[in-house]
Amino acid sequence: MREYGAFTKKEFLEFFRTYKYLVMGLVFLLLGIMSPLAAKFLPELMKEFMPEGMQIALAEPSALDAWAQFFKNVTQIGLIILVILFSGSMASEYGKGTLVTILAKGMPRKTVIFAKFTAASAAWTGAYLLCFLTAWFYAWYFWRGEAWSAALLFSVFCLWLFGILLIAASLFGGVLFRTIYGSLLFTGGIVVLQFLLNIVPKAGKYLPVSLASQNMALLQGTAVTADLAWAAVTTAVLTVLFLAGSCFVFGKKQI
Amino acid sequence: MNALKIESLKKSFGANTVINDMSLEIPEHSVFGFLGQNGAGKTTTMKMILGFLEPDGGSIEVFGEPVVYGKSGTNRYVGYLPDVPQFYSYMKPMEYLRLCGAAAGMGPGETEAAGTRLLDMVGLKNNGKKIGGFSRGMKQRLGIAQALLHSPKLLICDEPTSALDPVGRKEILEILEQVTEKTTVLFSTHILSDVERVCDRVAVLHEGKLALCGTMEEIRAAKKRSGIYVEFREKEEWKKFRGLPELSHLFIHAEASGRGAAIRTADVDRTGNEILQALERHEMVPLKFEIEEPGLEDLFMEAVL
Repeated sequence: MREYGAFTKKEFLEFFRTYKYLVMGLVFLLLGIMSPLAAKFLPELMKEFMPEGMQIALAEPSALDAWAQFFKNVTQIGLIILVILFSGSMASEYGKGTLVTILAKGMPRKTVIFAKFTAASAAWTGAYLLCFLTAWFYAWYFWRGEAWSAALLFSVFCLWLFGILLIAASLFGGVLFRTIYGSLLFTGGIVVLQFLLNIVPKAGKYLPVSLASQNMALLQGTAVTADLAWAAVTTAVLTVLFLAGSCFVFGKKQI
Repeated sequence: MNALKIESLKKSFGANTVINDMSLEIPEHSVFGFLGQNGAGKTTTMKMILGFLEPDGGSIEVFGEPVVYGKSGTNRYVGYLPDVPQFYSYMKPMEYLRLCGAAAGMGPGETEAAGTRLLDMVGLKNNGKKIGGFSRGMKQRLGIAQALLHSPKLLICDEPTSALDPVGRKEILEILEQVTEKTTVLFSTHILSDVERVCDRVAVLHEGKLALCGTMEEIRAAKKRSGIYVEFREKEEWKKFRGLPELSHLFIHAEASGRGAAIRTADVDRTGNEILQALERHEMVPLKFEIEEPGLEDLFMEAVL
């Protein structure tokens, strides 16, 4: 346990001193601010830049538009930043050989995996929470009560869970292939594979990627919690499998 | 008890056999010099002792406990200094040692005490810089500090002095000499003077096997190939000496050079007397008369060539 605590602390220190926290914090804060602002002011901006005489019927912006922006931004920018920042975690340890002295001290190898997963998950949780709370604040500011809906928390939770899966996948990819590109390609491959499987009828509800694509449907009421239950279960199972796989493979790697 | 016992160890990378049926025992409290050319397999052997590489055959025991590949149980006894130790550059020395202490299962108080003492010993005590700004020598010294942090019973150093300037080398050797009282040391190098200075046992690794192994005295005794070097001032004198009939049998094993020769012999005293008596009889005075002891370099060359 002491090893785990110390190595997790080292990971936190690394994120802090190599400015990964700063980058993540700023990006997610920006996304949190941008999403409701864009929803609110985009129609007005478009009106300004429209050629004279041209008319487009623009609906009055609502809190739903803000959340649509939020989920779009976090999946398209936030998750990618997250994966890029953490994909190098294993690769740099392998590449530089920094683990050699630590493992030579007798620390179990799986500790490295669990500590890295913990630290990355904590960073993702923190940044995502910051992003969500900021977006919520602005949505409340513009639309008051409209900003809240019963399905909001579950919808936000779904995307969070998907992020956790991506962290586990990029860790496994890093352990397997020892390089940043290996980790990125593996994680990207997992997502692309899901898009392909999505074509198969009825497969969709089991695929983790639904957790990152059905968020608005939940808010609009076209999907309910139960529809995503299986996807959440698959995601949790896959996360555990990736972690177990990482521990297993890392235990067999020559260092 | 043996600190380390290696039995018929084998390892190859693809078609390239690096270690081929090597056996080795290191008794406790010895300082073991592990010699070999670059690429002889010294680092590979060390990594197998640490469980970082999987042997193709054979067994390794550290203080009687078998080393299992991928598991690090036996590493509790071992302190390891890699040839080029790599640290987290964003950490400060003491922060790094705290991480190492925890990794070794040490308590915070214990780590703090040992860390402070070791940083003092290696001369990095008041260094508040991050490791990223360290010189090679400083990193090597921090490497020794981390390797000794948990008071290991066996210290494994992979070429600790090879990349350092003379001052850095001297510092590292002095530190190694300090720790040998309590710790068994296995130390690989190709700098032979370092070995002569600190080691009491040596092994030479060549073509996957130990070409030579034993205490320094044993090796010197077994490989006694001493010689007597005689040199004259004038070439004429040398020719005359070379032509002496009573000494002709000595020149069979001699390496001649200009005005003198190194005469190989198994019995230095007898041969030496023979030569001196002949010189006296013919009233010749040599420029040099010298008994040559075999150096480690000769032994090493003989073993690997």
